[in-house]
Amino acid sequence: MLPVSTQPHPDAPLLRPIERPARNFYLIVGILLAIILYTGFVYLRQILFGLGVTGMAQPVTWGFYIINFVFFIGISHAGTLISAILRLSKAEWRRPITRMAEVITAIVLAIGGLHPIIDLGRPDRMSHLFFNGRLQSPLLWDITSITAYFTASTVYLYIPLIPDIAILRDRGVKPRWLYEFLSWGWQGTERQHKVLDRAMNILMVIVIPIAVSVHTIISFIFSMTVQPGWHSTIFGPYFVVGAIFSGIAAILVLMIVFRKIFRLEGYLKHIHFNYLSILLLIMSLLWFYFTFSEYLTGYYGHEPNEMRVFWYKFTGDFAPYFWAMVSCNFFLPVLLLSNRKTRTIPGILIASLSVIIGMWLERLIIIVPSLANPRLPYPTGIYIPTHTEWMLFIGGISVFILGYMLFARFFPVISIWEIEEGRKESAKIVTERISSYMPDPEPTSAGE
Amino acid sequence: MNKKMIGVFQVVSISLIWVLFAGIAVWIVNLIKESVRLHDAPDASVAISIVAILVFLVLASVLTYVFIGLRKGRIEDKETETNPVSG
Amino acid sequence: MKWGMVIDLQKCTGCGECVAACKRENNVAIVEPKESAMGRTMLWMDMLTIYEGEYPRLRVRQIPRPCMHCDHPPCTKVCPVRATYINEEGIVAQIYPQCIGCRYCMAACPYTVKSFNWYKPEWTPGIRDTVNPDVSVRPVGVVEKCTFCVHRRQKAKELAKSEAREPRENDYQPACGEGCPTGAIVFGDLENPGHRVNHLARSPRATRLLEDLGAEPKVIYLKEVD
Repeated sequence: MLPVSTQPHPDAPLLRPIERPARNFYLIVGILLAIILYTGFVYLRQILFGLGVTGMAQPVTWGFYIINFVFFIGISHAGTLISAILRLSKAEWRRPITRMAEVITAIVLAIGGLHPIIDLGRPDRMSHLFFNGRLQSPLLWDITSITAYFTASTVYLYIPLIPDIAILRDRGVKPRWLYEFLSWGWQGTERQHKVLDRAMNILMVIVIPIAVSVHTIISFIFSMTVQPGWHSTIFGPYFVVGAIFSGIAAILVLMIVFRKIFRLEGYLKHIHFNYLSILLLIMSLLWFYFTFSEYLTGYYGHEPNEMRVFWYKFTGDFAPYFWAMVSCNFFLPVLLLSNRKTRTIPGILIASLSVIIGMWLERLIIIVPSLANPRLPYPTGIYIPTHTEWMLFIGGISVFILGYMLFARFFPVISIWEIEEGRKESAKIVTERISSYMPDPEPTSAGE
Repeated sequence: MNKKMIGVFQVVSISLIWVLFAGIAVWIVNLIKESVRLHDAPDASVAISIVAILVFLVLASVLTYVFIGLRKGRIEDKETETNPVSG
Repeated sequence: MKWGMVIDLQKCTGCGECVAACKRENNVAIVEPKESAMGRTMLWMDMLTIYEGEYPRLRVRQIPRPCMHCDHPPCTKVCPVRATYINEEGIVAQIYPQCIGCRYCMAACPYTVKSFNWYKPEWTPGIRDTVNPDVSVRPVGVVEKCTFCVHRRQKAKELAKSEAREPRENDYQPACGEGCPTGAIVFGDLENPGHRVNHLARSPRATRLLEDLGAEPKVIYLKEVD
């Protein structure tokens, strides 16, 4: 087939970043690589000298690494969960969003999954987890579920990507061998479509329980201990809700960013932002409900150790972080998003960034205060993260940005074939569906 | 790189998925055996681990199904006109 | 056989000899002052200080706190690689070559008894000569804690075997109990009626720390009487 990359395509804006990448793409990649390289050195220093280079000590033996672990994996719920749920509920407005969401999940899971390894005192002994792992430990359950989720979300990202890879292949985009290899001979025949649809149907159903289990099991790491502030039955649903919450915020930020730099105003329209930001608003209210229940039950029970942790968060050393968290997660988003006048792109950007920061603070507030206030009469623990921990945090974010940029360089961030399918068939599908809701005419009785 | 080589690499990559599945299944079975020997893991963990193996099996199977299905659904070049590429 | 400890708080003067004896016996690393200020002091046997009331009715209580060697240890439940486990004689043991340093057991222990090697332990030349050859030195990045001086158990067992007799109560005593000047720390087999701990554990003054958590600690405290 002749290379056709010069021919116009109805979805040219989606192909432009791949066929004609911007010049400062390489500059930004270079900067990110430099940051990541430096982070690598910092981590090497930690391996050489030991975890002493961090700010952790007794009793606060878990710090940034575990906070970021939960944070990154929480954001992963963006993708697969939203994309799977929107596909399952046949919401037509999902079409420009699903690909971006799925990519977030795949990249952020890889980063989050590496964080417990960064946290290990002896990462060289990692193989012990595989040869002598203990099924009684929530950490092991975690490894299993995160591996399952990562595999599922990668497959769930890849399979709907195949028709788009075929488009790039047919347009002769370089490197040809890559698209040829990945497109698996897609030609768009009816039989192939059936295969793809069936596979996607199976995946979107099984990916949801896997996603829910992942963050529930992460919450079990804390709730399965007897420490005050951790041993709470609400942790499972609380973490899942928090994860979906931070995930939606992440998608919104990415949508706004890509809309700007790839000029996708035609695809990511106000209505998409409107719907997603209303979802964010609902999640914010849900998050507040769970947080309120959690602290009210603790306060009402008035168990002395629980109360120490409670006051430490509400009025003690952690009060600034706690109230910042509540403002970022609840007050600001609800204020901005409940009013249509402020539910604009800038407003949504502020609300989403605020939620992302707030959810990071929430992980900090769950992990450190319970550790800092041991049951036995020790002085309250103090945790001051060091340069090492900050760099690894920044490095993690840089890896995310780099991974996303690389993806966007080679694959379209909006699913071209699904948009095309939407143009051709959505109206018909939706009309049929709605007419099936309408009441049927009364049966003209033959035998009454 | 000609089409045949790429085809070979594709088959190799699919086989790697099954190697990964086999590795994970062996690992989880190892964990379960150790649990039974020491008898200190809650039975729920063991049950859920078995479900985890099934999940990986389903994922590997779906991927293989798509691979084989796409191969089969192809119309070779020498036959009649291909359907227009959708999307 | 269930090894346990009884600490009589009436006899304890808070002198801290148990703390020092434990460090000497078990080659517990000495950390720099800066690290210690951060909270990285490594004390297998710690001395808890509790202040009650206000001047002039101030009351200071000193409570030696080793590892509780719980019968239902919260720490062993969460270890992902079985680097900490409870053995048949009731001692919660650490396997240093197995530990991957995830510190989950440290987060899970309600008594906060575990220590971590944040850096590679180092000894100044003078102290290096006094290192106890019976106890392995831990590498960087692993968790450690009081072991009821289990290396002395090995020695007592072998000594008794070589003399073809049953082990006696005083054959196996941890360093803290051996060093205590008032005899406040008593150690032995809780299930053996011939050992003192067996009677003392049933004293009306007997209590355990954080008993309601159900970890079933085997370190029993005898409350003060005045």
